[in-house]
Amino acid sequence: MSTPEENRGPPNKGAAGDGAPPEGWEAPRERWLSTGVRPAFGPRSVLLEVAARLLIPTILVFSVFLLVSGHDQPGGGFVGGLVASLAYVLRYVAGGRRELAAGMPMRPDALLALGMLIASGTAVAPLLFGHSVLESASLTVALPVFGKVKFASILIFETGVFLIVVGLVLSVVSALGARMEAEEEEARAARERARRILRLRGGPR
Amino acid sequence: MLLPFLIALHAAVAVLLVPLVRVWGPRAFVVACVPPALTALWALAHAPDIVAGRPVTSAITWVPALNIDLEFRVDALTLAMVLLVSGVGAVIFGYCAAYFSTGERGLGRLASVLVLFAGAMLGVVSTDNLFALFVFWELTSVTSFLLIGHDDRKEHARRAAVQALVTTAGFGLPMLVGFILLGQIGGSFRISELVAAPPLGEPLLPVALVLILVGAFAKSAQAPLHYWLPGAMIAPTPVSAYLHAAAMVKGGVYLVARLAPGFADVDPWRALVLTFGLLTMVVGGWRALRQDDLKLLLAYGTVSQLGLLTLLAGTGTPVAATATIGVLLAHGLFKSALFLTVGVIDHQTGTRSIAALSGVGRRLPVLAGAAILAAASMAGLPPLLGFVGKEAALEVFLPGTSSGLAPAAAAAVLTGLVGASVLTVGYSVRFAWGAFGTKATVAERRVSRPAAAFAAAPVALAVLGLAAGALPFAVDPVAQGYAAAFQPTGKPYHLALWHGFTPALGLTALILVAGALLFQWRAAVARAQQAMPRWPDAERGYYGLVHAIYVVALRVTRLLQSGSLPVYLGVILVTLLALPGVRLVMALASGDVAVPGAGGNEVRIWNTPLEGVVALLIVVTAVATVREHRRFPALILISAMGFGIAGLFVLYGAPDLALTLVLVETLTTIILVFVLRRLPETFGTRPNGWAKRLTVLLCAAVGTFIAVSLWLMTAARTHAPISSGYTPLAREAGGDNLVNMILADFRALDTFGEVVVLATAAVAVASLVLLRRSRVVEEAEPGPDEEEQGEEEQGEEAGRTGTPAGEGDRT
Repeated sequence: MSTPEENRGPPNKGAAGDGAPPEGWEAPRERWLSTGVRPAFGPRSVLLEVAARLLIPTILVFSVFLLVSGHDQPGGGFVGGLVASLAYVLRYVAGGRRELAAGMPMRPDALLALGMLIASGTAVAPLLFGHSVLESASLTVALPVFGKVKFASILIFETGVFLIVVGLVLSVVSALGARMEAEEEEARAARERARRILRLRGGPR
Repeated sequence: MLLPFLIALHAAVAVLLVPLVRVWGPRAFVVACVPPALTALWALAHAPDIVAGRPVTSAITWVPALNIDLEFRVDALTLAMVLLVSGVGAVIFGYCAAYFSTGERGLGRLASVLVLFAGAMLGVVSTDNLFALFVFWELTSVTSFLLIGHDDRKEHARRAAVQALVTTAGFGLPMLVGFILLGQIGGSFRISELVAAPPLGEPLLPVALVLILVGAFAKSAQAPLHYWLPGAMIAPTPVSAYLHAAAMVKGGVYLVARLAPGFADVDPWRALVLTFGLLTMVVGGWRALRQDDLKLLLAYGTVSQLGLLTLLAGTGTPVAATATIGVLLAHGLFKSALFLTVGVIDHQTGTRSIAALSGVGRRLPVLAGAAILAAASMAGLPPLLGFVGKEAALEVFLPGTSSGLAPAAAAAVLTGLVGASVLTVGYSVRFAWGAFGTKATVAERRVSRPAAAFAAAPVALAVLGLAAGALPFAVDPVAQGYAAAFQPTGKPYHLALWHGFTPALGLTALILVAGALLFQWRAAVARAQQAMPRWPDAERGYYGLVHAIYVVALRVTRLLQSGSLPVYLGVILVTLLALPGVRLVMALASGDVAVPGAGGNEVRIWNTPLEGVVALLIVVTAVATVREHRRFPALILISAMGFGIAGLFVLYGAPDLALTLVLVETLTTIILVFVLRRLPETFGTRPNGWAKRLTVLLCAAVGTFIAVSLWLMTAARTHAPISSGYTPLAREAGGDNLVNMILADFRALDTFGEVVVLATAAVAVASLVLLRRSRVVEEAEPGPDEEEQGEEEQGEEAGRTGTPAGEGDRT
C-alpha cells in the first residue's frame, strides 16, 4: 500500500545556485486526492486521480448550472443532482471509500433529510400566505452585473430534489460500494490474522 | 361545554405521565387520577339537568365534507357510563400508585396508555357521531392491546394482546360497514337523530344492525367470541379491573343500549341479543364455577355478567332499561372491587390460586369484609346494588310485565336467567371461600399487611355498592332518565329494595338457596363438570382460524416468491400477455382498432437515416447482450443500448430526456459494476432445451406485443395533445423549458411524491445492504491525517488481537 510520502517527492536539495534546476523539481508537491489511499478497483491510476482532481469541481459547478438553468433550458433538479453525484462516484472510483468519505459534504441520510425538508417546506410555505400547496411565484430583479435575473420559487423546490438525488446516489454508493469494500478488507484482515496464528503455532518453540 | 376539553386533558396528561413516572415512579399515578376525577365531578355537577331529560351537548367540526364531526351528547345512559369510566377509573388509578413497584418495566408507557384509554372510552360513551364513535372505539382496542401486552417479554402476553386486538378491532370493521349503511339509509350520522327517527322501512336496516351487533358482541365478549377476555387477564390486575370490569368490555353493551330505543323492535335484533346474551351468561357462569385462579374466575364471571347486560340492554322496554342501568352500575362497582381485591391478595401473598390460599380472611379482615360485600352484591343479596339490579332484571321477563316477547320466549329467557343466576351465586360463594376461607387441607399462607391506601380502593368501591343498594333512589333517576327513551308499557318500574312480596323476590330466594346448595355440593358439581363432554372450545376455533390464515399465506408466498428473478420476470410478462395482450389480439381480430398505414397512408421508415444507424446500434447490442455469457460484457452492452436510446431522444428533439437517460445509464452502470464484484464472472445456469425455447418464445411474444401496441397507440390519437395547452401556461409561470415546468410546477405534487419514494428507496437500500451487520461503515469524514492514523491503528489492532489469541493458544 502506498503512503503519502511517495507523492510528495524528495526534499528540495539542489538550491545551491549551481545553475542546474533543483533536484526533484518536477515531483508534485501535493497529492492529487486528499487521502491518497488505494482505490477500490485495482492499482492506483495517476491519470484517473489527476482527472478526478481537475474534473470534480468543474462537474459540481456544472451541476449547479444545470439546476439553475432548468427553468428555461434542459436541466433541472433531477439532472443536476445526477451530475453532482457522478462527481462523487468519480471520486470513489479514483480513491476508494476513504476518499469518498473525505469528500462527502455530509452523511447521505442528512442530505436526504435536508432535501426532504426543503422540498416539503416549499410545498407548504404558500399555505402560510393563504395560497394553495406548491403554488409558485417568480420575481425578476435587475442586478448590476448579471442584468435582469429571474428568481422562481420553483428553484427552491428543485434544490430539494437535487439534494435528495445526491443523497440517494451517495447512500447507494456507500452501501453497495464502500460497505462491500470494507467487508472485503475485513475478510482480508481476518485471513491475515488466521495465517499469523498458524505461523505462531507451527513455529519453533 | 367542557367535555371535549376533558378528553383532550386525558391526552395531555398521558403525554406528561411518561417523564413524570421516570421522576416520581408509581406515585405519578396520582396525577393520572386528575382527568377522570375531574370528568366524574363534571358529570355529577350536570347530573340533575341530565336526568331531568336535558342532555348536555357540544359539537366541533372535524371533517365537514364527510359528515364527520366531533359531536358530544351526555344523556342519562352516558352519565351512568361516565360515572363508571371516570369515577371507577379515578379510584383504580389511585390504587395503581400503591400496586406497582418502582422498578416496574415500562411503567411510564403503562400509565400513559391507561390514561389515553380512559380518554378514548370517555369519547366512546359521549360522542353522538357514528364515525367519531368508531374512531374512539378502535382507539380503545389499540390501547387495550398495548395494556394487555404490557409485559411484552412474555410470549403469553403478546399472544393474548394480539388475540384481543384481532377479535375486537377485527370485528370492528363489519361494524364500521354497518355504521355507514345505517347512516346512509337513515340520512344522518348523528346517533341521537337516528334513534329518534329510525329508518324502519328500509330493507337494508336489518343488515346494518346485524353488522353493528357483531362488533358490539366482539367487544363485549359474547359467546362464541368470549375467548379473548379470559386470555386478556394476563394484564396487570388494575388494568384488568379497569378494562375488563368497568370500562372497555362495556363498550359493546353501551352500543346496544344506545341503539336499543330505536331499533329493538327490528328483526332480528331481539332474537340475536337474547340468544347470544343467554348463551354467554350460561357458558361464562358454568366455566367460572370450575376456575382455580381467582382472576380467571372473575373473568369468566364477567363474561357471564356481560351476557346478562347485553340481554337486558337489547330487550328494549322501560323495565329492561331500568334494569340495565341498575346492573351496569352494580357490576362496575362490585367487579372492580373484586378485581382490586385479587390484586391485593396477589401482591401480598404471591398467589391467586384457590388451592394455595388459606386463612387470608383472618389476616385481612377489612379487605375480606369488603370483598364479601362485593361478592354478595354479585350474588344478588340484599341490601346491595346487585340485588336491586337482579330484581329488576327478573322483573323484565315475568309474565305480568310486557317484555315485547311471546310468552313462551319470555318464559324460556326467564328460565335461562334464573339458571345462570344460580351459577352466579355459586361462583360468588366459591370466590369468597376460595380467597378468604380457611381450608383444612391447605397450609396457611403467609400474608403481609397491605398499606392502608392500597386496600382502601376495593373497600371504597364495595362500600359504594352497599350505599347505592341501601339508597336505591339515588341511582333510580338515572335509570328512569334512560328508560324514558322507550315506549312506556304497563306501569313504571323503579329501582328499589322492597317491592312487596313479588314473584321476583320469590325467584331471588330460590336462586340464593340453589346457589348455596351448588356450593355445598361442590364436590359433586366438580365431578359433573369433569364428566361433561368437552365442547368445542371457542379459543381453539380462533387458533384454528389464525393457523389456517398462516398456512394459506405461506402457501401463496411459496408459490409466488420463489426467489428466482427469471421466474418473477416470467410471471410479470405472462400477465402482460394474458391480460392486455389477449385484449389486443381480440381487438385486432375483430377490427376494432384502426391499423395505421393500412388505409393507404404512407409508412415512413425513418425521418433521417441517422435514426436507422441508432436503431441498428440498439438491435445489435440487444442481440449481443442476450448471447453474452459473461456478466461484465453483458452489462456494458446493455448500457451501450441505453445510450443508443438516448440518441433516439436527441434525434427526436428531446434533449431533457436524453440528458436524464444518459446520466441514469451511467450511474446504474457504475453501481452495477460495484455489485458485479460480488457475483460470479459468468451467468451460472442458462436454460436449455424446452426451458430455453419457452423463454425465447415468451420474450419474442412480449417484444412483438410491445412493438405492435406502441405502433397502434401512437396512431390512435383522437384528441389534441395535452402538451399544447401547457405552452401558454408555461409562459404564465415564467419558464421556457416545458418538461421542467411540468415536473416542478404544474405537476409538482407528483414530483414531490416521487422524491419521497426516492428518499424511501435510499433508506431501504442502505438498510437492506447493511442489514447483516449492526456496525455501519465509518463515514465520519475524518481529515487525511486522521485517516492515516486510523489506518495504522487498524493495522496495530489487527496485530494486537492476533497476538493474544496466539499466546492463548500456546499456553
